[in-house]
Amino acid sequence: MTVIEVRGLVKQFGPATVVGGLSFSVGAGTIAGFLGPNGAGKTTTLRMLLGLVQPSSGQAVIWGKPYRELGDRRRRVGAVLEASGFHPGRTVTAHLRVRCAATGTGRSRIDAVLADTGMTGLAGRQTGSLSLGERQRLGLAAALLGEPEVLILDEPANGLDPAGVLWLRGFLRQLGEQGRTVLVSSHILAEVAQFADHAIVIDRGRLVSAGPVTELTKTARQVVTVRSPRAEALRAALASEGAAVRAAGPDRLEISGLDTEQVATLAAALGIPIFEITTDTGSLEQAFLRLTATEGRPG
Amino acid sequence: MTRALRAEFLKLTTTRLVAGMTVLAVALTALIGVLEAATAGTGKGMAIPSLATATGLRDNLASTGFALLIAALLGTVIATSEFRLKTATDTYLDQSARGRVLAAKAVAAATAGAVLGAAAAAAATGVALGFATSHGYALALSGPAIAHYTGGTVIASALLSAAGVGVGSLIRHQVGAIIAVVAWGLVVELVVGATVPAVGRFLPYTAAAMMAGDTNGGGMPQIPRGVIALPYPAAAVVLAAIATAAAVAAGLTTVRRDIT
Repeated sequence: MTVIEVRGLVKQFGPATVVGGLSFSVGAGTIAGFLGPNGAGKTTTLRMLLGLVQPSSGQAVIWGKPYRELGDRRRRVGAVLEASGFHPGRTVTAHLRVRCAATGTGRSRIDAVLADTGMTGLAGRQTGSLSLGERQRLGLAAALLGEPEVLILDEPANGLDPAGVLWLRGFLRQLGEQGRTVLVSSHILAEVAQFADHAIVIDRGRLVSAGPVTELTKTARQVVTVRSPRAEALRAALASEGAAVRAAGPDRLEISGLDTEQVATLAAALGIPIFEITTDTGSLEQAFLRLTATEGRPG
Repeated sequence: MTRALRAEFLKLTTTRLVAGMTVLAVALTALIGVLEAATAGTGKGMAIPSLATATGLRDNLASTGFALLIAALLGTVIATSEFRLKTATDTYLDQSARGRVLAAKAVAAATAGAVLGAAAAAAATGVALGFATSHGYALALSGPAIAHYTGGTVIASALLSAAGVGVGSLIRHQVGAIIAVVAWGLVVELVVGATVPAVGRFLPYTAAAMMAGDTNGGGMPQIPRGVIALPYPAAAVVLAAIATAAAVAAGLTTVRRDIT
């Protein structure tokens, strides 16, 4: 069942087309990564989906309706769009009380969402004294107040330290296990691949790719690095098998076009010793850059 | 509407904005009131008549001029803070009917403005009556007359604060909106009042100050000479109309804009 559907969405700000005819859908219970480089139109698309920005043309609907027309919407859809959208003089609890009042949610949920996001100890703190990571958690806590079936998160990992990113990854996986539909924007494919099962890639306001994350990662170019005392002999053998080989040092080769098993089998057949063999994990990002045509383009 | 109202009132009671602005309004009112009362009847430059006279006591009761301006600024800050602090995103996600949010904000601001006005009126009344009785003067104004002016301050503060929400929604940039409100109250109205007194009486800040007891040529800031006060209910209607017009103008223009 389709929960989120974007059909021919266009947004123009003056002469600039920020989103140009974008279409995609997200099924129920899916964690979808919404990927694209900075300025690709991700935030504008999410804001159109949530009724904050008026599309120039096209439609963005949730359960077949524009967000504004959804009944009891804040209990059905939670969203975090701005990490800094808090009054600095208001306490964490007071912020959540305001959000409860605005949506008609019982205050009894406050303790629960604070616990879910690890914010219980910060309940009395003013939001102005929170770190960026803590503000991200508070945003998530507020989005969860209504126990929504759908969550829309705009770059929730931005500014988080490694521990925060790790926490967020686990948190998003947990949301998926609960059967919620989650649309998470990001510009880091490798990060999204850690928790999402579906990826929508856009660039300059247009759809580049949409499908399971596993399909996307398959397109990634695998680079195998090998360390051998007979690197030159191995290089010649690999090249004759059609692999692209680059010397990365006196005893080190970088190989594209063959996987680790093929490289190791060939070396064994020729009696060439191998001291080390690894696959380059950066290839996911290369695939993303190729897809969005940003390889070599300044960020 | 109930949810929007509850949220807007809660926003005001969970920060120090209203308390801070009220303290500022009371402090300025008390300062001006004391300066006026201390020099009353001396005949010096800006001195008001003796507190033994009805005119002098009235002038001293009306030392709330800056408090009225602060009430307007309170509404302006309430509206513009949503954009300065980027809380407008969540506000409009929670309540998609933007007109309803604007109306709830105006009602909450009017209530806060009334509280601010009541505190300032209490300060002005305390200073005026305190000085008058300490000099042994019999009260030159009746209780209802005093209540008339203090009530005027409360009502005018409430309506100016609601109008401030309209202005702050029209001009989302906080500093720009504050400058616009101050310049309007302290420059535009004084210039218009001085050059076209017949029009000056219909201007919001002038009408508000005259509801609070300011007279032609009196008050701080001074009402331009020649401006005749509107009848009390008419002044209230003018203020309410201006607050409504500002809110409607904002509702038809800026409030519909994209929240980016």
